[in-house]
Amino acid sequence: MTLPIDPVDLARCVDCGLCLPHCPTFRATGRESASPRGRIAAMRRVQAGEPVDEAFVSYMQECVQCRGCEAACPSGVPFGRLMEQTRQALRSTRRPRPPLVRRTLEWLAYRVVLPRPGLLVALSWVLIPLRRLPGLTGRTAGLRYRAESLMERLQADDDPDVHLFTGCVMDAWQRDTHRAALRIMRASGAHPGLPGPGAGCCGALQLHAGMDFDARRLARAVMRSLPGDDPIVVCSAGCGAMLKSYGELLETDAAHRFAARVRSFAEWLEEHGGPPLRDTGRTVVVQDPCHLNHVQKVAGSVRRVLAPAYRLVDLDDDGLCCGAGGAYSLTQPELAAAMRDRTLAAIRRAGGDGAVVASANPGCAMHLAAAGVDVRHPAELLEAALGASPDAGDGDAGESEHR
Amino acid sequence: MADLAAALGPGGAREEPLELAMYGKDAGVTRGRPGAVCFPRDAAGVAGAVRIARRHGVPIVPRGSGTGLAGGATPADGALVVSTTRLNRILAVDEHERTAWVEPGVLNLDLTRAVAHLGLHYAPDPSSQQACSIGGNVATNAGGPHCLASGVTSAHVLALDVVLPDGAEVRLGGLEPDTAGYDLRGCFVGSEGTMGIATRVAVRLSPDPPAVSTLLLEFASLDAAAATVGAVIAEGIVPAALEMMDAEITRAVEDYVGAGFPRDAAAILLVELDGRPGSVAADTAAVGELGRAHGARRVRVAADEAERALLWKGRKSAFGAIARIAPDYYLHDAVVPRTRLVDVLRTVYDVADTHALTMMNVFHAGDGNLHPLIVFDASEPGIWDRVASAGDAILRACIAAGGVLSGEHGIGLEKRDHMPLIFGPDDLAAQAGLRAAFDPDGRANPGKVLPEGSRCGEIAGAPEGTWI
Repeated sequence: MTLPIDPVDLARCVDCGLCLPHCPTFRATGRESASPRGRIAAMRRVQAGEPVDEAFVSYMQECVQCRGCEAACPSGVPFGRLMEQTRQALRSTRRPRPPLVRRTLEWLAYRVVLPRPGLLVALSWVLIPLRRLPGLTGRTAGLRYRAESLMERLQADDDPDVHLFTGCVMDAWQRDTHRAALRIMRASGAHPGLPGPGAGCCGALQLHAGMDFDARRLARAVMRSLPGDDPIVVCSAGCGAMLKSYGELLETDAAHRFAARVRSFAEWLEEHGGPPLRDTGRTVVVQDPCHLNHVQKVAGSVRRVLAPAYRLVDLDDDGLCCGAGGAYSLTQPELAAAMRDRTLAAIRRAGGDGAVVASANPGCAMHLAAAGVDVRHPAELLEAALGASPDAGDGDAGESEHR
Repeated sequence: MADLAAALGPGGAREEPLELAMYGKDAGVTRGRPGAVCFPRDAAGVAGAVRIARRHGVPIVPRGSGTGLAGGATPADGALVVSTTRLNRILAVDEHERTAWVEPGVLNLDLTRAVAHLGLHYAPDPSSQQACSIGGNVATNAGGPHCLASGVTSAHVLALDVVLPDGAEVRLGGLEPDTAGYDLRGCFVGSEGTMGIATRVAVRLSPDPPAVSTLLLEFASLDAAAATVGAVIAEGIVPAALEMMDAEITRAVEDYVGAGFPRDAAAILLVELDGRPGSVAADTAAVGELGRAHGARRVRVAADEAERALLWKGRKSAFGAIARIAPDYYLHDAVVPRTRLVDVLRTVYDVADTHALTMMNVFHAGDGNLHPLIVFDASEPGIWDRVASAGDAILRACIAAGGVLSGEHGIGLEKRDHMPLIFGPDDLAAQAGLRAAFDPDGRANPGKVLPEGSRCGEIAGAPEGTWI
């Protein structure tokens, strides 16, 4: 097979190696085959006619698609696009064929559950007792949603001038974050609305897995659910990056116009103007989700909206991925854990044990929370600083009830 | 392979063909085919791997980050690549003695960051410092913009624990100010893996200067810029860095990062002065005056840290800026006497014209270390012959002007066959004798540095399908 990759994109890499330290899987393994330069070399060989074998597939699957290499690349290699196109090719040829269990699980997750938020919420009810089972606690420690949260629907304003995108996983497992975001938006004088019928998953997980057809179908559904010209606010860094890329994905004017409306939560708040906050005097360690930092390139806005209320500390890890990577922590658990260990060490250096960490991405938040980190979304941190009770953050919505 | 797996544990050695192909080259232009790659985690692992390779009669090639530009990490066919990426611990830092023991896989910039809170840094700063490893720096005796005043890697390595090509573990040098006997440490630094593999390196850490000043000088002619470089050095001022960029590269960088560089200057100088506040202020004034006296049309002193950072960002983005002009570049590394800078530059431009190539120049002017960059598109038929021929002409011109082949990248495979241009047969025989004292069987990175000796397959020029 040949890969459906633009040869010009592939030729842009000059093998300089400046990406290596910015690649979390290279940092974790020290292997060239787990680095952007090595993966490009492998793509070139397949492009030149070498067979696709198990090794090639595993090197491609080890990539977490954080795109930290893109930000570091002096030659501007569009590595994220190269990887997405390679995965599409691997998925369409299905050779070598992945194991049946894996194919079934992927089908269930990407095609059945994620596009149907109602089904996901229903499954989440089932998970509530299951996540306490002794054998499962390690894997489900990041799932800290409250049962009551699943019952209460989010409330939209009547005559909205901005919309909050709710998505799939975040709507089910982090609805309290969306509740906090709506409260902040209202406190800022905006009237937030919610997506209309048919909206579900943004399609990012499907696209990253090489299911571009599914991703486009989901993108069109999301666009239909959010008509008009109002800004669209996204609390998930990964979904926000995806919504912003609908123009390139669908290649229509409508999709480009839609993408231009999309803002990450802190980005919108900064543009719109936020609510009055009190200085909590507390320290927060800021973790930059890759899709906010390397892809959307708006990580600075999180700091600027939090700064009036918190003393902020940065990580010294150069923005290396924490290993969450959408479904990556499930598909590559060993690498994901190694990457997380590195992030955990950086968190300890920055804020000591028990540091409160701000993360604007549900995947990172769950992955880090599963290792015992106290992670809050910026919207929740801002809600806690809205004035009102002196210590609104503690014992408030979103606290883990079973730590 | 079974021996390696037994010695290094699961995952400690790999021989998957697709993965091995990735270890066939570094950031340079040459390619080889290794037989296996291994990832030892400590000195014992390195020694074990070296002994196993010796038992099987296989050559060894150490590899750090693979950012070298001279093919130093290009393996001889069938060689065992010893990757140092998992030897990446900072073992000890002595803030009072200002020394650190590190493993060779520690990245240059990671070391500086790790000691920044002590007000210290590791002085040699190659442009690839974010990615290159201390072990690789030792192998190539790497330099960097700030090596003008502080010296290259050799001046910052105090001692080394080394696995010799026969597997023996020895210490070269020491932390004492002057160690007795031959300076084998100095011999090992820059040996490009031909004398063994370092497993621990004791480096000197430097205190951060209390004051820093960065100047940008604009010139309407290359001669004026070069004359200023000479005048500054003659005045007895030793800048921390003294960098020159020609018109083409200055424009390219400005288009790319917008550092505030003048698009219409024939050349610019970036001068950094550091030390105590009083002397920095005096030197800043003096450099500005010398520049104006030699024809600088404008002298700009960075007003704050942000402006200083922006100027350096411009300088260090040079290669990225070039990558956006054409997909490929070939970077040279010759050194010429400062007094001959202008003559050599003229020759470089002539060579570019006669070969119909785009050439840009960004270099460490203070120590005469030229980095002519040939920018091209490798997909153009026959282009490599022209690029190689131009490169050869440039090297010969530099040597004719009294220069040498490499300032900081090393000889590797790329410039090995140019060594007879500067060394006679006796010189080369003496060097080969020294090498043989460390590696009598010629198994440590064979085919590198010296033109004689065991040659590795046919790794000459750029083979078909090579991207450069």
